[in-house]
Amino acid sequence: MTRVYVTGLGVVSSLGFGRENFFRSILESKSGLSPIESFDTEKLGRSIGGEVKGFKPRDFLTAAESRRMGRCSAYAVAASRMAVEDAKLFPQQLQSERVSVIVGTTMGEGDVITELEQAWIHKGVDAVETAKLPRYGTTLLPIHIARALGARGMVQTLPAACAAGNYAISFAADLIRAGRADVVITGASEILQQLQFAGFVRLGAMAPERCQPFDKNRKGMIIGEGAGILVIESEKHALKRDAKLLAEVAGCGLACDAHHITRPHPEGTGSLYAMTQAILSSGIKPEEVDFINAHGTGTHSNDKIESYIIHQIFGDRKVPVSSLKSMLGHCMGAASALEAVACVMTVETGIYTPTLGYETPDPECDINLVADKPVEGKAEIVLNNSLAFGGYDATVTFAKPGRLPEWRPSTLQ
Amino acid sequence: MAAVDSSVNPLAITGLGVVSSIGVGREAWILALKDCEKARARAFRGAPTVLSAEAAPGAIAAEVWDFDASLYLGNKGLRNFDRLTRFLIVAGKLALEDAGLKKDGEQRAIRAERIGVCSATAYGSLDSITELLKVSELEDPRYVNPARFPNTVINSAAAYLSIWEDLRAPNTTVVDGNCGALDAILTCETHLYNTRADVFLVGGGEILSDPLYVAFKKLGILAEADAAFAPGLPESRGMRLGEGAVYLCVERSADARRRGAEMRAEIVGYGNAFEPPSSEAVLVHASKSAIQRAIQMALQDASLDRTQVDIACLSANGIAQFDRPEREALAEIFGPDIAIAVPKSIYGETLGASGAFGIAAVLSWFEGVPAAPLICGAVPKHPLRALVVTVGFYGNASAVVLSRGPIVRKRGEA
Repeated sequence: MTRVYVTGLGVVSSLGFGRENFFRSILESKSGLSPIESFDTEKLGRSIGGEVKGFKPRDFLTAAESRRMGRCSAYAVAASRMAVEDAKLFPQQLQSERVSVIVGTTMGEGDVITELEQAWIHKGVDAVETAKLPRYGTTLLPIHIARALGARGMVQTLPAACAAGNYAISFAADLIRAGRADVVITGASEILQQLQFAGFVRLGAMAPERCQPFDKNRKGMIIGEGAGILVIESEKHALKRDAKLLAEVAGCGLACDAHHITRPHPEGTGSLYAMTQAILSSGIKPEEVDFINAHGTGTHSNDKIESYIIHQIFGDRKVPVSSLKSMLGHCMGAASALEAVACVMTVETGIYTPTLGYETPDPECDINLVADKPVEGKAEIVLNNSLAFGGYDATVTFAKPGRLPEWRPSTLQ
Repeated sequence: MAAVDSSVNPLAITGLGVVSSIGVGREAWILALKDCEKARARAFRGAPTVLSAEAAPGAIAAEVWDFDASLYLGNKGLRNFDRLTRFLIVAGKLALEDAGLKKDGEQRAIRAERIGVCSATAYGSLDSITELLKVSELEDPRYVNPARFPNTVINSAAAYLSIWEDLRAPNTTVVDGNCGALDAILTCETHLYNTRADVFLVGGGEILSDPLYVAFKKLGILAEADAAFAPGLPESRGMRLGEGAVYLCVERSADARRRGAEMRAEIVGYGNAFEPPSSEAVLVHASKSAIQRAIQMALQDASLDRTQVDIACLSANGIAQFDRPEREALAEIFGPDIAIAVPKSIYGETLGASGAFGIAAVLSWFEGVPAAPLICGAVPKHPLRALVVTVGFYGNASAVVLSRGPIVRKRGEA
């Protein structure tokens, strides 16, 4: 079975565009959280988000592309272009039936449907602009990317809520291992929009100012937006074109809590299974894991359960753990994709990303948190965790190229 | 033709659950299909009750009439489920029971940890988004109901299915427009052969809603009033929307045999493709080339040649722009004699779920019931192999090859 490698990364985020800017901001412990400008938050009692500022579609898209797509697709296409440039893939290498696009999201083009519905609600059905209708549809994200790059293989959206990025990366790697693609453009994209923001406020899940994962006084999450895109390819394809191998996409673990639509299972059964599966299907043991990028939303229940699961798997061994949501906010579908980009860069650089806002240890979150500042350390095996809405659990393992034993598929049951 | 380095591993369909405009449950579905004209009349029997007269005056659509989820699920816990969630849970429950995997709410044969969901939809949460946006716009965003908010997330309906039926293996929602349900089969195959589960509910659902209807009406592609609705035929002047949900219980064929499950069919080939339009200005389009590639990949995957396919179940929905290239692609691959069925003429366009409805139609052919009007060719008395095609609105296409299960052949029916 072929190995699968990450060879390119692209980012649109509140911490910057492109992987270098993104990771530099993280290492400087910058926060991407700021007052939201794209919609009115006055009535909602919360006004902070991980909003992408200064994104100009025409910096990345053609005029025709700008006209035919919404902001979520624009982020995805922009990040995809950065990723293929980073991978040094030429157009003729992308214009192939062996190149697929698999991306995740939670709400897709939420701003498009909001605009259409607002016209309908306030001005009547005749005010709905027909030309804008085809812009709506979660289906369109990978279509727009495929068209921008010339890819002609499978196009698919996996809307797996806050685990969408990890779901997409897992399936993309599966496609390559099964021989159905040589290269897959994968990751996820999400935008901030008012209905989603209002819904999380109404769920009582939103913090007023800061996101403080694993802190005793954490007050909830802050939502964000952006796109994280990875170019992944088969070992044969990557070596043939002498591509730089940034990290290996090792095992993955997927499960469903089947417990509650918004709350994690009280014993974390699904996530425990997903993390365990991600480790074992990589052909490694828990003691070989060097760093965990936690889901770490900053909500009481998520952080408590995730800490419990980490303790269940690693026992008294204190694996370094961090949560980027303290800087980016919770970017929903794009969260685990953006965090995957950071995981790959941690593998590349040997630097653990920090968690901001950690002030008071929580006895219920007894983990080795990388707080405030980045830390250098061994980073050959890194786990990327996501515990999503709907009870979706997904963990992906990234490894330093050459670090893993011969590939063996999971037999865990 | 696209190179395929590996074939889809054999998958057995061991259960079928249907919520449709012509009946709920496998038996009702097959019974209804025995008389296609009657089934079509039932599906399009009057003004849809789920569409408002204001948004959809004079609408013609195939509604799941008089649907009452409580008949199948009881009264408790349904209050905040939207229509799609109710469809999916009922279809999933019926499929599990049909496969003998659940009875009276209890898991049988296979543990909850080993059963997952691969579910497709194209516009799944649209009605719930509309519902909450109206509250937000006309009243106040602070009045958005937190218990209804989860319905705005597109994977929520499938997630509720896992919660309701206690299915703890991976739950994956797939969105690829009209191709979603067929693509969900590949997702399921991938999970099964990576041993992430032993059984998946595979299929999907779609519902009628005002915004969906208004969108297609404004795009001018609905066959309304006296306009001809004849999928696959040149005289058709548009499509009619439908709704419903279909789930198949799918497992590794060897495991299905081992547990003595009745195999209603095997999935033996899969293919998909995407082709951009020739013009940058175009977004909505059908690609004959992509359709051909998807079909050829599926045939190659199944190690079949074109003469071994007894029936092709088309994606044709009545929109000439899409039906024509599909017919042309079929003709170029199979010649003029292949039997072509157009099941959407009975129950309308079910979008993300349509591939699963196509498979459900083929299963009834395999059980000896002619499932859909043929617009070309003739089907043998006991068809053995069928092709199901789906064509997306953006240049994407998928195809699946089904084969009658060996248990059926043992009975001497093949």
